[in-house]
Amino acid sequence: MSGVVVASAGNALVWVVWVVAAFSCVGSAVAVISFSNPFFSALALIGNLGSLAVMYLLLSAEFVAAAQVLVYAGAVVVMFLFVIAYVGPRRETPWSGGPSWQTFGAVLAAGALLVEIVVAVGMQASGSLKHDGHVGATFGTPSWIGRVFLVDHLLAFEITSVVLLIAAVGGVILGSHTKRATV
Amino acid sequence: MAGPDVAWYVATAAVLFGIGALGVLIRRNTLVVLLSLELMLNAGNLALIALSRHWHNGAGQIFALAVMAVAASEVCVGLGLVVALNRRNLSLDVDTLSELKG
Amino acid sequence: MTAGSWLCLLAPLGGTILILLCGTRIPRVAAAWIATTSVFVAFGGAIWAFLGVRSTTGHVGELTTAWTWLQSGNFHAGLQLLVDPLSTVMMLIVSGVGGLIVLYSIGYMDGDDEERRYFAYIAFFVFSMLLLVEGGNLLMLLAGWGLVGLSSYLLIGFWHDRPSAVRAAKKAFVMNAFGDATMALAFFILIAHTSSLSFATDFNVHLSSTATNLIALGLLGGAAAKSAQIPLQTWLPDAMEGPTPVSALIHAATMVTAGVYLIARTHPIFEQARTVELIAAGTGALTLLVAGLVALVQTDIKRVIAYSTMSQIGYMFLGAGVGAYSAGMFHLVTHAFFKALLFMTAGLAIHALAGEQDIRKMRGLGRVMPFTKWCFLAGALALVGVPPFSGFFSKDSIVASAAALGTWYGWIFWVCGIAGALLTGLYTFRLWFLVFGAGSAAGKAGDARPGTGSPTAIPGGEPSPFVREHYHRHGRFEGPLTMLVPVGVLAVLATVGGWLQWAPKWHPFTNWLAPAAQTLAAAEPTSTQEYYTSAATVIAGLAGIGLAWAIYSERKLAIPAAPFWRRLLEHKFYFDELYDALFYRPGVSIANGLRREFEEPVVLQTSADIGEVTMETGSLVRRIQTGLLRTYVLFLAGGAAAVVLAFLIAK
Repeated sequence: MSGVVVASAGNALVWVVWVVAAFSCVGSAVAVISFSNPFFSALALIGNLGSLAVMYLLLSAEFVAAAQVLVYAGAVVVMFLFVIAYVGPRRETPWSGGPSWQTFGAVLAAGALLVEIVVAVGMQASGSLKHDGHVGATFGTPSWIGRVFLVDHLLAFEITSVVLLIAAVGGVILGSHTKRATV
Repeated sequence: MAGPDVAWYVATAAVLFGIGALGVLIRRNTLVVLLSLELMLNAGNLALIALSRHWHNGAGQIFALAVMAVAASEVCVGLGLVVALNRRNLSLDVDTLSELKG
Repeated sequence: MTAGSWLCLLAPLGGTILILLCGTRIPRVAAAWIATTSVFVAFGGAIWAFLGVRSTTGHVGELTTAWTWLQSGNFHAGLQLLVDPLSTVMMLIVSGVGGLIVLYSIGYMDGDDEERRYFAYIAFFVFSMLLLVEGGNLLMLLAGWGLVGLSSYLLIGFWHDRPSAVRAAKKAFVMNAFGDATMALAFFILIAHTSSLSFATDFNVHLSSTATNLIALGLLGGAAAKSAQIPLQTWLPDAMEGPTPVSALIHAATMVTAGVYLIARTHPIFEQARTVELIAAGTGALTLLVAGLVALVQTDIKRVIAYSTMSQIGYMFLGAGVGAYSAGMFHLVTHAFFKALLFMTAGLAIHALAGEQDIRKMRGLGRVMPFTKWCFLAGALALVGVPPFSGFFSKDSIVASAAALGTWYGWIFWVCGIAGALLTGLYTFRLWFLVFGAGSAAGKAGDARPGTGSPTAIPGGEPSPFVREHYHRHGRFEGPLTMLVPVGVLAVLATVGGWLQWAPKWHPFTNWLAPAAQTLAAAEPTSTQEYYTSAATVIAGLAGIGLAWAIYSERKLAIPAAPFWRRLLEHKFYFDELYDALFYRPGVSIANGLRREFEEPVVLQTSADIGEVTMETGSLVRRIQTGLLRTYVLFLAGGAAAVVLAFLIAK
């Protein structure tokens, strides 16, 4: 975390964009867990995903940013919204229920994780996470991604496709009507 | 281009992760729990992308894509469960699964 | 000869093991015969060993070691047997008289449900006693000592559904344990000073006088406990709860004489601690008087004979204590004969009357059981010491040795011995006249013919109503043959057994024992002393018999009322009450106090508390098991945080 900020117009822009994106990211995340109506939580998630996509762009990961919006915001969240609409309105207050120490313990655990990660990263990489600056022009482009994905990490590609297939089958089975009466 | 160091991105990812974990631990509605899980996964993605940018290693982005695919699958299956539960008129409250109470 | 000693030792053990292994698969009488045969085999081994020792020059004896099992520095102890004149005498007595008694018990215990257990125990006892007398070092002796104590406990409490028998067994064992403890302490001192317990050691060196005195005192404590001398004598009368053959074997012929054997065996130590040896003699003198007095008022036939045993062992202690070891041992031998005989004839009477032991009910038994009557008479005359019966030869040597000392305490012992003879005559013939006597006072027929102590043809002595009702015969004889034959053999031995030695003229027994236990010169009586002592004891004995005849047979003299003395004697000089107050009550109150103050609040409470604490902890921990998914995920997250923290700290 360097205190030296190169003062240039492009730099300031990047900083501003980053601040906006980061704050909206965190804010929408808080909104996700805070709304009592799950519909609003899902909508807040869209905001979160959008701001994340912006941050990916800042990090020269264009393809991933596009995929994020297409897949996550476009498919996953839409699925969520469909199901939320299907099951109907359920309101529930976020901080209720469970044993008394659950809430306190949750805050503690989550906070601990957060702090520890920050500290870990800070300690581990003190000073070495400076913004590097230059990357190749093709870094993050779809063609580059495609080459790396299909050449260097072909196994991961294939496994991912299998996982998707399994999930699709599972989803269909889970959602289908059963012939005989159950519980 | 210049801008925040990679460390800032990773810190943001950490915050996101914490908030997502809090959501999983606090909320009782299954759907919101799934949404919080998405938050955590996204936090991981962010960290991956940021560090991939830092070390100029494409593997990070590839990994992020794989994570996205897996997240999508998991959401698919999870929502299928929710639909199945709903169809059988069972409660979606996570706290109803308490048969292991000692 | 060592082979004979091994055979003698191991045959009864083999008998016991065989009976144990066969269990209920063999008939009861088979177990009985196994035991009897094993003891007679032991007798054969004893004869073999005896002949072997006799054939060696000087009769010194031989030590045989099976193996050494304890080695610590200079101290070695092992399974050693010593075959010398003293141990062969004891071996012959134990296995010989023991064999006769085991044979007798075949008839006596016939029909008992647990006959096999009895014979296993009795064979084990014979083995233990042989171990005691054959042991080549004090450790072996102590092993035998403890085992005879155990056998005694098992056999006294043989009829374990009788609470009185169980109490008596415990009493005997506990009092003997006291003696065992003092003996063990003596051994410790001995080991500390001489690093040896073997009898082959010369105990004369390396011992200071305090050490010697302490050792001798410890040994004396053990001997007094085992031989029922004052102050540890109260267990012997109670031990009569056991079957009569047990009383005959253990509490007359063998176990109670172990104390005398111990003193004779360890006489080098005692001679160095002369004071303690004389204390032993004094204990014997005191006991013989006290026991004789108490025997005058007993109404149980076995208790009279038990007190008589106590008294006679007092004589043996007196003899061994003044240094006349062979006189004490000779009396041990003759005593084994006539005391076992007395017990066994009493057993015949008890058996015929289906278990009745009260002499007041047995009046007139002599009429219906003549064989028993005459055998008892033989034993009684031997006990009183009337020549030519065996007791005369042995008892008088002891009393004469006391005179030979010449000191003031020597004369006191002499007077005690003479008084004891009077008492012996009195209580023994009180018993005889009351049970077997045919005097006019005992019978309905009024023709009183004044006679001497031996009623023969007086037609009186009608059986009492009790006897008439309860007496039953076994066929032609007064009892089964297995009971009558040993009684007959012992009657013969009681009569002629004393002819082995007549101290003034002819003493092969003393000569035989000399290599092992040389009589002290100070205790060697002259012929004159022997003669007048013999005269005195015989006159005293006959006077006792005459008194008994006058009081109990002819009712010419009345017993003086003297309520104080009568109460004192009936309460056995209040020893039981004293020990009860000194030891039992404080012990019980301490135990109760500890139970109240310590055991219940602390110990029991602690274990209860541990249980409670565990359960409470469990119910506390149970609250973690909420059953909620969220809780478990919380634990996951918390655990992950902790792990990461650990890694961070480790960095």
